Amino acid sequence: MDKFKNYCVELLNISKSFGGTRALKKVTLKVKSEEIHALVGENGAGKSTLMKILSGAHQKDSGRILLHGREVSIKNPHQSKALGIGIIYQEFSLVPALSVAENIYLHDLGRESGYIQWRELRMKSKALIQKIGFDINPGEKIHRLSIAEQQIVEIAKALCQPLKVLILDEPSAVLGPKETEKLFQILRELKKEGLAIIYISHHLDEVLRLSDNITVLKDGLSSEALPSGKTNKDDIIQRMLGRSMKQMYPQRTPKIGREVLKVKELSSKNRVHKVSFSVKSGEIVGLSGLVGSGRTETLRAIFGADKKSSGHVFLQDKKISFSSLRKAVKSGLGLVPEDRKQQGVLLNLSIKNNISLTSLDELSHRSGFIKAAEEKENTKALIQKLSIKTKHENLKVEALSGGNQQKVALAKWLTPHVKVLLIDEPTRGVDIGAKTEIYQLLNEMAQTGVALLIVSSEIAELMEICDRILVMYEGKIQAAFEQKDFSEENLLRKAMGQ
Amino acid sequence: MKYSEHLKLMRKFLKRTTMFFIEHNTMIIFFLILIISANVSEVFFTQTNLSNLTRQVAGIGLASIGMLLVIITGGIDLSVGSIAAMAGVLCAVFSSTTPLSIVLLISVASGIAVGSFSGYLVAIHKMAPFIATLAMMTIARGLGFIFSNGAPILLADEASAFIEFGSGYWLGIAYPVWIFLVISVICALLLRHHIFGRIITAIGSNEEAVRLSGIRVGIHKLSVYAISGGLAALSGLITTFRTGVGSPIVGVGMELDAIAAVVIGGASLQGGKGTAINTLLGVLILGMIGNIMNLISIPAYPQQVIKGVIIIFAVLLQKFQSKSNHN
Ligand SMILES: Nc1ncnc2c1ncn2[C@@H]1O[C@H](COP(=O)(O)OP(=O)(O)OP(=O)(O)O)[C@@H](O)[C@H]1O
Ligand SMILES: [Mg+2]
Repeated sequence: MDKFKNYCVELLNISKSFGGTRALKKVTLKVKSEEIHALVGENGAGKSTLMKILSGAHQKDSGRILLHGREVSIKNPHQSKALGIGIIYQEFSLVPALSVAENIYLHDLGRESGYIQWRELRMKSKALIQKIGFDINPGEKIHRLSIAEQQIVEIAKALCQPLKVLILDEPSAVLGPKETEKLFQILRELKKEGLAIIYISHHLDEVLRLSDNITVLKDGLSSEALPSGKTNKDDIIQRMLGRSMKQMYPQRTPKIGREVLKVKELSSKNRVHKVSFSVKSGEIVGLSGLVGSGRTETLRAIFGADKKSSGHVFLQDKKISFSSLRKAVKSGLGLVPEDRKQQGVLLNLSIKNNISLTSLDELSHRSGFIKAAEEKENTKALIQKLSIKTKHENLKVEALSGGNQQKVALAKWLTPHVKVLLIDEPTRGVDIGAKTEIYQLLNEMAQTGVALLIVSSEIAELMEICDRILVMYEGKIQAAFEQKDFSEENLLRKAMGQ
Repeated sequence: MKYSEHLKLMRKFLKRTTMFFIEHNTMIIFFLILIISANVSEVFFTQTNLSNLTRQVAGIGLASIGMLLVIITGGIDLSVGSIAAMAGVLCAVFSSTTPLSIVLLISVASGIAVGSFSGYLVAIHKMAPFIATLAMMTIARGLGFIFSNGAPILLADEASAFIEFGSGYWLGIAYPVWIFLVISVICALLLRHHIFGRIITAIGSNEEAVRLSGIRVGIHKLSVYAISGGLAALSGLITTFRTGVGSPIVGVGMELDAIAAVVIGGASLQGGKGTAINTLLGVLILGMIGNIMNLISIPAYPQQVIKGVIIIFAVLLQKFQSKSNHN
């Protein structure tokens, strides 16, 4: 009985179905105070769903939730918050048009006096952000921040009230190595302060390093928690996938051809300064650097999503002045954006509608009517090729787990007319099995002669799949490495501007 | 079969039927009101009444179809009533001097022009649709008054063909109603099976993602306002054909009825959702409510209250629907 009391939060036999999908089947998760408990599992295993039940965003169908041994009922996010449960969702929940400070204190803006004291609010926000080791102007509007900075605001927001339980759903997916390290420091401190921390991640090395215990979810079923010291990566993968994984990265035998993309002295108003490089057909080039170094902005400027202020882009030796994104796409350029929810997918439309969006012309008659059978077939083939976990191609994308949404964002560019694909964080939020599939896919694309330019915060991933890596620092290309010179140290040093 | 299996089957059946009701709630409201109407008034199901009813809704219906397209992109068009009046006036003004086909052309083109300008403001200058079309609403209304010198204009005798068309029937259904039906079907086909429908729905769902997929968002947004303007003009023409006058004061508040019909038909004002068939049902629902209240002689003021209540009721039902879809 004493041991039982030690648990801060217990989720017992939780079940949850969405229509016909049984997302959770009697899942149990117990976390003590002063513990970092990792929750891992494949995309769609039910991790986020379980956490949303704890945070009141979803309602459980059955099961019990105990807090310090006492049963509680959590009917909405407000109740969960009042109980001292803080959550950082996998998908962002900030209001883009409001400032950092307003977002952090959104829940009790002007609660006491009825009007908002801006100065105080800003000072409090600034202190909070500084406490967790970052520096962001509290008056800045959210939509002007990078995704990593937004994530930090999310964390600050969760911490603005006293907490017993802190849930982080893939917080590191959008952070660079430096920020992630800082985050771990904060989490360790919070742990010492007595919090129970639930940490979801697909980065198993990270999980092993940070957590005290690990619970694996598989197909909506939970297993006994494992002490991190007594397990290893292979063991976890085995439990997650139900099989072992021999090889994470594909064997690359690059077939490099002519230069297809050439960027010359490209600058844009946001953070891109005179960037020059080129990518050959069949080549995979990585773009590394810290968060805010201008990697995303470079991709967007090449694609034409942001206006260039000077410089040129050449596609197969033809200078292209893309006046519209349509021309960019028509001439064979594609972009998988960083922010999948805002820019990558159409959440309330079907998987089919999402995937077809880039090839509507090919999938329709000259009259513009869509060839339904062909479209369906095409979608099904892609769903299978990327093993997107879904029952039906007509289901809405919002019903997919985060990793599977990412696959949809990728799938729509797997069309024959893409010659150069710019990919921002290809494996963000994707489980280890699916990662392997995506690497395989990128490799296959390269084999067919597509030129790939990949931005990633995961250095290990870039080193394994790229033929060349460019490192950016403060909007410039700081260094370029050939495969034989790849080393984490080299890359990181250049990324810090040394 | 064991008892538990029976129970399971039973539950499955219940679930299926509730799902059916929730999914087809517009249709259900439609039949509900149809049945109620048939029971409270004997006149309702007579040939004359039904023909009157359908002729009345045809005009609003055309505007509602245009409104649906705009709303699907996440916009709104407040100018439809004014455009209808302006087009009707233009038709009457030109009817005495100009060949009839040219008259039609001028009137519809004027609607398309006003709509295109709203679309231009929205798509190119990123003006809020509410504001842009609000401005165009007063502009078009003003133009209607200018063209007509502020007074209703009778259709010229040369335009008797218009009057004949306005009161003509084919297979027992009035010509204007045919136009409405045909346009509804075309719109339904476009939305379900055509690239255009696919794209405007996608724009309503996530404009930025559509832009980044290399699709021309601007031209598509502009065109829905142009179509809406054109259909509004057509609706104004139908009114003029039916009444024989082009009046600058018709169609006041028509935009609100059109929006109501679209919303009752389950479209979301946030965009990305809506079907032509349900909008058609929405139009008929609104029309029947008005019609039956007239038949049982409910005075005008309570009518408005009742209409509002029914709109709230219909939309609440849909909220219920999206919630249950979610879980
Ligand atoms: N709102 C919803 N409607 C319908 N099905 C849903 C909904 N949310 C989640 N699901 C389904 O529930 C299952 C679990 O999803 P969940 O998001 O919890 O996965 P996850 O473990 O967090 O995956 P990921 O690692 O990709 O984030 C999936 O099959 C998913 O499709
Ligand atoms: Mg998740």
